[in-house]
Amino acid sequence: MSEAQPETDARGIAEDARSRVRFEEEVLELADQVYRVARRLVSTREEAEDLVQETYARAFRSWRSYTPGTNLRAWLFRILTNLNIDRGRREQRTPSTQPLEEGDYFLYNRLEADSGTEDEARIEQRLSQDEIVHALSEVPHDFRDVIVLVDIGDFTYQDAAQILDIPIGTVMSRLHRGRRILKQELAEASVGEEDR
Amino acid sequence: MMFMDPCAKCEEMLQPFLDRELSADEHAIAESHLNECGYCRKRYKFEETLRRYVRQAVVEEMPPELKQKLAALRTPL
Repeated sequence: MSEAQPETDARGIAEDARSRVRFEEEVLELADQVYRVARRLVSTREEAEDLVQETYARAFRSWRSYTPGTNLRAWLFRILTNLNIDRGRREQRTPSTQPLEEGDYFLYNRLEADSGTEDEARIEQRLSQDEIVHALSEVPHDFRDVIVLVDIGDFTYQDAAQILDIPIGTVMSRLHRGRRILKQELAEASVGEEDR
Repeated sequence: MMFMDPCAKCEEMLQPFLDRELSADEHAIAESHLNECGYCRKRYKFEETLRRYVRQAVVEEMPPELKQKLAALRTPL
């Protein structure tokens, strides 16, 4: 059959190549976003760079599994999060057993206590960039993955659920608990700051 | 220990409100509550500011050489 239709085949191959080039260009345009998320999923810059390169190598290899017209970002970030899990980078910490509700309000109440200062200035005075980065890294992976996808990747709950292959209710509960853990860590950092 | 929250319902809606994930009806309820309740309004503002600040603090831009490495992974023509 292919012998009988050489022109059709040639056109098909050319069209295929054009689609692939288009796909690769679109995927590369997302690289900044992929790196920003990857950087906070892992501990070091080197790990993030490796993870992003593996993600792109796999994405380019498996481009046929992407259905044009569907959510390319979600498809690509799913590769990223799956690779991150596969590579065993999930050195799980035991989630804190402390009542998180207290930490949640604690941060607010502490910083709120400095009356007469704007929120931004108060937070800035009490928490350095390094302390915030450290606090986020202390959030256990399952919770941090969701925070990073929603807050840094700007994904909707629905997209985050699709990427991580978990129900949307789980996204919401992990996000809620994860943000509380983060605030608890920030509150602890702000206490340390005061003691200095 | 029971922790008393003056606006437990509002707390439940605060996160999805900030994430723009509430339905139109829920959004209207949350907004009207924020107009009436000074405590929740302050917490909302605080949360919004904190999130923005955390985001700014943790975002790290991609090294330019990585972009070149990624482009090199493309299928040769």
